[in-house]
Amino acid sequence: MSEVTAEIPMTAASQGLASCHICLKLAGADLHLCPRCGAALHLRKSNSIDRTLALLFTACVLYIPANMLPIMVTDQLGQPTPSTIIGGVVLLLNMGSAPIAAVIFFASVMIPSSKLLMMFYLCWSVRKGPPETLRQRTVLYRITEFIGKWSMIDVFVVAILVALINLTNLIVIHPGTATIAFAAVVMVSMLAAESFDPRLMWDQRDNNDE
Amino acid sequence: MFDISILKDGESARCSRCGHFLSSYRGDETSRVIAYTSSALILLALACSYPFMAFKASGLESLMTLPQTAINLWRDGMPSLALLVAAFIIFIPALVLILILALNIALLKERHYHWLRPVGRLVYTLQNWCMVEVFFIGILVSLVKVGHMATVVMGLSFWAYAAFSGFFVLSLSGLDRAQCWRRIEALNDE
Repeated sequence: MSEVTAEIPMTAASQGLASCHICLKLAGADLHLCPRCGAALHLRKSNSIDRTLALLFTACVLYIPANMLPIMVTDQLGQPTPSTIIGGVVLLLNMGSAPIAAVIFFASVMIPSSKLLMMFYLCWSVRKGPPETLRQRTVLYRITEFIGKWSMIDVFVVAILVALINLTNLIVIHPGTATIAFAAVVMVSMLAAESFDPRLMWDQRDNNDE
Repeated sequence: MFDISILKDGESARCSRCGHFLSSYRGDETSRVIAYTSSALILLALACSYPFMAFKASGLESLMTLPQTAINLWRDGMPSLALLVAAFIIFIPALVLILILALNIALLKERHYHWLRPVGRLVYTLQNWCMVEVFFIGILVSLVKVGHMATVVMGLSFWAYAAFSGFFVLSLSGLDRAQCWRRIEALNDE
């Protein structure tokens, strides 16, 4: 598939045009509604950094119960055993399934926590970041935006195991309280990624050039 | 700024600053999307109506269906989580597919309806909250977790959901945002 790239980079903002976040239409920034699709129109996402930071802190607070409380309770022969996310990984390690333990550790611990750190770094870098890394930082933003919903895997795994492993008197799995906290972490950090405006980083460079 | 109207069939545009994909143009986009979307809807209906997986241990067997992933959470005292799971894997994807189908049939017939704009807005707002592919990987992870302790048998619904997630991804990625809105705008102007 052939590709076409705009040759002279001229930003819409410098022409007083805003891009609609729903339909990508370029329209005068003084209009409040997009003339094409009717969505609210902003030159840049409003209060982007403040909103993103507020949501990130919320996610951090929720991350504590998500890891401390049990994510599921295995009831085997009438004996309930609660397990946390980390506990599940340790259990798999002890049972000798190191590769599976590594995959689950990566998906449920590394990805959610590094996503929060990456978003904090991006917020900080809007003002202080070196202009040479703009392209890399934009890619970093795309990555955080993309992996957002993938952290939901853990919640779905609990939902599937609860439905699947249901042999009364032998083995039954119940969902733990951490599942709700974990689902909230994922949703709040998705909203944080959605409210961050990567164009603010490029604006900073344009301002410095002038 | 980039004028996407210069794109020819099969071409795609990228941002000159960050290199991110912007838009691509295919002459047969609408009919493709209609085909993918209707296949996905039929497969989702199938996936909801047959057994999904069965779990066997010590001569006992428990059978699970797709809606049960949410229903059992509800029964276990987590109604909020049950609603979220049901919304992310069944209801929002189904709604988005129905809206995409309606939108593209209107675009194919080149007829203007007053609901085109709100429906288009809803499709692009809800898109991020469809977790069909994520759930599918979740199934694979659960299989790995349970596989060593008991026998798990996949039912018809499992294969239907696997195919559904494939068509769902094709349908969403086939619907180019900029091109779709350009055509809605053209119908509105008439």
